[in-house]
Amino acid sequence: MFNLRDISIKNKLILMQVFTSLLVLSIVFGVFIFTDINSYKQRKVESMISLAQVIGTNSISTLQFDDPDAAMEMLQDLHNVSPEIIRATIFNNKGEIFAQYSKPGLDSFRIKDVLKQRKFLFSGDELFVSSAITNNNEVIGKVYLDVELSELQQTKAYKLELAAVLLIIALLFSFLVALGVQTYISRRLLKLVSTMKNVSETGDYAEPLGDDGKDEIAILIQVFNKLMQQIKENQQKKDEFIGIASHELKTPLTTIKGYIEMLNMMEQEPTKKQFVEKAMLNVNKLERLIRDLLDVSKIQSGQLRLEMKEFNMNELLTETVNAVQMVSAPRIIREDKLKNEIIYGDRQRIEQVLLNLLSNAVKYSPGENKVIIDSEKTDKDLLIKIRDFGIGVTKDEQMHIFERFYRSKDTSVHFSGFGLGLYICRDIITRHCGKIWVEKADPGSIFIFSLPLKHSFKTQQTEA
Amino acid sequence: MAQVSEQEANLKAAFIYNFTKYIDWGNYNDRNEFVIDVLGDTTIANSLEQIAKEETINNKPIVVHVLENPSQAVDCDILFISKNCHFTLDKILPLVGKGVLTVSEQPGYARQGTAFNFIIVNNKLKFEANLKAISSAGLKAGSQLLKLARIIE
Repeated sequence: MFNLRDISIKNKLILMQVFTSLLVLSIVFGVFIFTDINSYKQRKVESMISLAQVIGTNSISTLQFDDPDAAMEMLQDLHNVSPEIIRATIFNNKGEIFAQYSKPGLDSFRIKDVLKQRKFLFSGDELFVSSAITNNNEVIGKVYLDVELSELQQTKAYKLELAAVLLIIALLFSFLVALGVQTYISRRLLKLVSTMKNVSETGDYAEPLGDDGKDEIAILIQVFNKLMQQIKENQQKKDEFIGIASHELKTPLTTIKGYIEMLNMMEQEPTKKQFVEKAMLNVNKLERLIRDLLDVSKIQSGQLRLEMKEFNMNELLTETVNAVQMVSAPRIIREDKLKNEIIYGDRQRIEQVLLNLLSNAVKYSPGENKVIIDSEKTDKDLLIKIRDFGIGVTKDEQMHIFERFYRSKDTSVHFSGFGLGLYICRDIITRHCGKIWVEKADPGSIFIFSLPLKHSFKTQQTEA
Repeated sequence: MAQVSEQEANLKAAFIYNFTKYIDWGNYNDRNEFVIDVLGDTTIANSLEQIAKEETINNKPIVVHVLENPSQAVDCDILFISKNCHFTLDKILPLVGKGVLTVSEQPGYARQGTAFNFIIVNNKLKFEANLKAISSAGLKAGSQLLKLARIIE
């Protein structure tokens, strides 16, 4: 069924106004037509009763001298005087028909039986009236008239038609006015809605919404602005905190790392050396986490700078795979067809991306599972595909996996980390005018990123 | 036959009574009673007496006299000359003064000078009116009455 809730505010406002107009006008027109027709009937009854009275007065002598022919003659004249009278009957004081007239082509008809004791009666489109004939306060007869109200039907039809036309015109005007007026309310609301949608999708709150009204919508906009301002401030504070915290954490960590490395070199006793190595492993892990935080902080504050130069993608990939292979169980299989493709970019940052993706793939492919690297080359871009055979990424997660602090909702898998790696990867790749995304494979998933080849990078950069 | 004539007399008496409603006597009718004189027939006089018991004319009681001689018809408002009156019209009319409405029931009498004369048309009682006779008697007859009458010039 038609649901009022599904209509937009704009249409609701228009509908409301048009409906109100329709209601009010219908009532007004209804009352107008009703009273008009009633007063027409009233006038008709009055005029017909007085006509009956005149006929009665004129027929007094015919009744007194028992001259129905003269009465008949008089009734015949009605045809010219008042053609709407289709039947007329005069009764004498004994209740017998004294004289009778009916329009040619009509049968005579006992109006008296229909009317009984009433003075007048509307029946269909006919009016019956009666009037007593009195002489010196003595009732000597009665006149009955049957009046055809063809005029009434015409008037009625005409009035209804007129009302319908006026109603349509009025509704049209009301619609136009509503269309004009509703923008005052709906435009501001719609603007607020679109801004809110935009903010919720992009998380980007650019400018406060301007509105100089004082009504509820204005309050809504003000509150929204205030909320957004608070969110913005909180975000800034958080970013600042991350930046400061990661900086402050990094300094002592660097010192700890230095000492542990020294200890590692000095220590010969196997048990102790094992402890030191464990400590070093964790210090490295911690360093990576802090470095990620620092990177994010740099990205947020716009301090991340790329050192662009040409490098060989094949060489970089080989180095990275070797580095990961050293510490991981699954076999990394290269199925790519890279042949010294030259990329113009920040070699260290691209390495960071590769390391991140590969260690993720290894992390999520435990046991004997393998990781396959593939590549694809188009006119402009080089695509690197890293396929794992792990648990895969759900469709819903594909949308959010590259967002800051995103962690899998799946509680069955629990891996440490801040959920920053893929966010940093996306930022780096985007800065290189490339793209990064994930596709579902069966089993596992494929992480793909594209980078513009050296020859097309400059043109893309200028386009961007 | 007597019954028929009684019925006819009743009708004629009613007509005469109804005539009075449309006739204006002006200043002539200044008596305290309304006098109807009947020449000849007593049947119609009886019928008129019946009416006189119940009705008034111009708020005056009705008095009916049966006359033997037209010379007696002096102080009256209506003089009815019946069929069996022994006197001919030319003997009667010269004796009738102003302010007297003459009513007769013999064919041709209206032409000869009575104001109203009953006739039978298609078995129905009708009447003739002599406008000249009415106006020369100083009376006025209403149009409602005259439209039902056969006008004699």
